[in-house]
Amino acid sequence: MSAPAVIGADQVMAVAQDVFVAMVDGEETTLGPWYGDVPAPAEPLAAWVDVHGPWSGRAVLVTELATARDLARAMLRLDDDAPVDAEDLVDAFGEIANVVGGNLKSLLPDGGTLGLPQVADAPPAAGVAASPEAELRLSWRGRPLVVAVHARPDTSSAPTGPTTHPDNPHLEGDTPR
Amino acid sequence: MIRALVADDSRVMRQIVIRTLRQAGYDWDVREAADGAEALEAVRQDEPDVVLSDWNMPNLTGIELLQRLRQEGFGTPFGFITSEGSAEMREAAEQAGALFLIAKPFTPEAFRAAIEPVLA
Repeated sequence: MSAPAVIGADQVMAVAQDVFVAMVDGEETTLGPWYGDVPAPAEPLAAWVDVHGPWSGRAVLVTELATARDLARAMLRLDDDAPVDAEDLVDAFGEIANVVGGNLKSLLPDGGTLGLPQVADAPPAAGVAASPEAELRLSWRGRPLVVAVHARPDTSSAPTGPTTHPDNPHLEGDTPR
Repeated sequence: MIRALVADDSRVMRQIVIRTLRQAGYDWDVREAADGAEALEAVRQDEPDVVLSDWNMPNLTGIELLQRLRQEGFGTPFGFITSEGSAEMREAAEQAGALFLIAKPFTPEAFRAAIEPVLA
């Protein structure tokens, strides 16, 4: 089944900002656009959730392991040097992906079901298109965080590569106008 | 003091829910459950005054938890806190007997708006 690229970069941005205000930083969140190329993470950590339905795909967050650890500290209101165990690290980063994915799913016209969040150094390549329908390069506390939405090939009409958002050059992807 | 049960498979999210409850002015006695089955057992044992449950949990999902509670005769006020606030889910939650559905990400104001009518 074919579907239009229904999730736009501006929608992903709005969802990410809401999530960081409510769950991570409060109103003083430092989440914003990342300008320029995103350096390849030395120790990447990815969190993702899959959406199954008339539109199927995946919402993926990727950042440095150290950044994910700081996200967990922020969500749990821990001191900057407090230890973060692996369970809380996975839980916190996965929950951000879960809420981002759930909110994006709610934007889909035909609904669907949401899988449980998963966390690893990289998401599996199989099952979704390599090129994202939307990709945001974000900065949190001056460190990069990438949020991407990939469609499953048989439900995607995504472009062959990201396109620059007409109003916001740091945003990429199709945007419903 | 009101005794509440917060059910979510994410410990981090349970902490955020409890923190937001306090920010909303609800200084409740809160017990936690890490999945639907644990929440079911907690209600059987403690009969809390209100249950705040995630939707998507292992073992028993939130809606399965609510259905089981009603089947077993528990009328505990029950609300969902979920990352998916679609109209279909709200309808399903209401049909199952939930009193409110709070969408993640949430604010203390959203908690007050959902919970105040339940407490009235």
